[in-house]
Amino acid sequence: MATTVRSGVAPHTPSRRVRAGRLARSVGASVLVLVVCLITFFPVYWMAVTAIQSSRLSTVYPPSLWPRDLDLTAFREVFRDEPIERWIANSALLAGMATILCVGLAILGAYALSAMRWRGRAVFAVFLLATQMLPEALIIVPIFKIYNEFPLLGISLRESLPGLSLIDAAFILPIGVWVLKNMFDTVPREVREAALVDGAGPIRVLWQIVLPLTKPGLVAVGVVAFFYAWNEFLFAQTMIQDNAIKPASVGLASMISMLDTPIDRLLAAGLIFAIPPVVFYVVMQRYIVAGITAGAVKG
Amino acid sequence: MTTQAMDLARGARLGATKRRRPAFLPYLLVLPILAYEGVFLLYPIYEGLRSSLYRQPLGRPERWVGLANYRRMLGDDGFWATMGTTLAYMAAVIVVVLGFGLGSALVLNRQFRGRAFARGLMTLPWAFPDVPTVLVFLWMLNPNFGVMNVFARTLPWVDSSPTWLLDPTLAKLSVVLITAWKGFPFYSLVILAALQTVPQELAEAARVDGASKVQVFFAVTLPAIAPTLLLLTVLASIFSFKQFTLIWLLTGGGPSGATNTIVIEIYNTAFRFYDFSYAAALGVAGFLMALTIALVFVAIQRRQELEAG
Repeated sequence: MATTVRSGVAPHTPSRRVRAGRLARSVGASVLVLVVCLITFFPVYWMAVTAIQSSRLSTVYPPSLWPRDLDLTAFREVFRDEPIERWIANSALLAGMATILCVGLAILGAYALSAMRWRGRAVFAVFLLATQMLPEALIIVPIFKIYNEFPLLGISLRESLPGLSLIDAAFILPIGVWVLKNMFDTVPREVREAALVDGAGPIRVLWQIVLPLTKPGLVAVGVVAFFYAWNEFLFAQTMIQDNAIKPASVGLASMISMLDTPIDRLLAAGLIFAIPPVVFYVVMQRYIVAGITAGAVKG
Repeated sequence: MTTQAMDLARGARLGATKRRRPAFLPYLLVLPILAYEGVFLLYPIYEGLRSSLYRQPLGRPERWVGLANYRRMLGDDGFWATMGTTLAYMAAVIVVVLGFGLGSALVLNRQFRGRAFARGLMTLPWAFPDVPTVLVFLWMLNPNFGVMNVFARTLPWVDSSPTWLLDPTLAKLSVVLITAWKGFPFYSLVILAALQTVPQELAEAARVDGASKVQVFFAVTLPAIAPTLLLLTVLASIFSFKQFTLIWLLTGGGPSGATNTIVIEIYNTAFRFYDFSYAAALGVAGFLMALTIALVFVAIQRRQELEAG
């Protein structure tokens, strides 16, 4: 019950008026919780309701606030009419490459920040913080020019998923290093140092002691990196025109501009695209929130 | 291992490993990151700076023009309007996101049944990708069949369905609120984590002394989470400054420039009007703005780190 916390403060039996006041407050609080949950949940609910109803119900005004029937044709049709599987496969490939790159590099940087004291460490930390704040759109023009012809190698990185994953990883890497550093900080220094004394090199300590102890953190960084690339729209839209290698974010957005796409199909496609990140974030929530908030709260 | 042995080990380390540990290792570890970010972030920034000093008509070689792009920018009313729109959008998002984030965190910080579920629900908008977010809100704001019309028309002064994203004021409001819907869970969860660190004894003592809940909030809770709120304000400003996808897909900067922030303006200048050198100059202006906010962020974070010891 909402009032249990305060019962220790007031040992005497509460009068009827006080109890009524508490009840009113607890009802008021419940209403507030409900409002917060409704605001959070309603758009997703509405998306699902429209997608699982038959098409004709989406052109009825005023719409019913709960589903009137169950009709999953929209899901079947969107798979039939749009290359959804290919978009999703492209997104998964893109996100997978960006994740491997980001986690691999972030482990090294986070270990150097967490376990070692060196000249320039503070500068490196500030560099990471500052790059984390750089808006993607500000360098889209030079990146586009560079990608047209990579200056050193003379190859085009445009219209290529590996090329796109490179730039995605560059933007997620600072956050990855930061989150992992916070995770590595939780490994007691004595544990690392004992291993060093026993003759293990610092890299072996990282590999055999620090990493196994921080697996959840690694997974959290992996999930954040994967879905950054999965969701990313600006670079993907700018670099990829070829239909065969379009990631799902761009494919979906292109459906918006096609006026004849029925809304329930559009929303069905959107749901399919949104389910993986939602599932992973909910499952991994504890670690992701801990990792990200550690940086923000602790400073 | 006993504590003593640990102490011994530590003593041994100070003597022995200081010399043994290779001094170049940390540099070797961060070198790939520096090289990588150098190629993909620093070099583009340099390239943007350089090409902002040139003029490049489509398909022809570029020509040095000095500060002409900047002169054009500073003399252009459209640029200042864009800056105004950007700042207004940022301010509105900061207020809504922090206000609602704080409010919902306070609500969720109480003990009640289903609290874990309510918190889990909060990750939903945060995890929801941008493009599907746009899809569902475009649908909800559809002038003919959108469900928001049903809600809007319950208001006494609304007697017909609003035109939402086609109306400059409503478009601004919608874009801000949609950004906030997707953004506020992050702030709420961070504030919740901060609320957990507020010393409960202090709040309870104040309650025993007869302070009202509101008084406790302003005297105990708020000062305790103020550093977090400050940091979040800066984060919110940078996140809203960065926002491209939501605005681009919802309104494209319209109607008639009502939601045309600088990142949208850069994109349109480059990829709709193919004016790459002017877009680069706009990018430099935006970069200076982002850098200012980033430096404020770093300064605040370092000061808080010092205060925390």
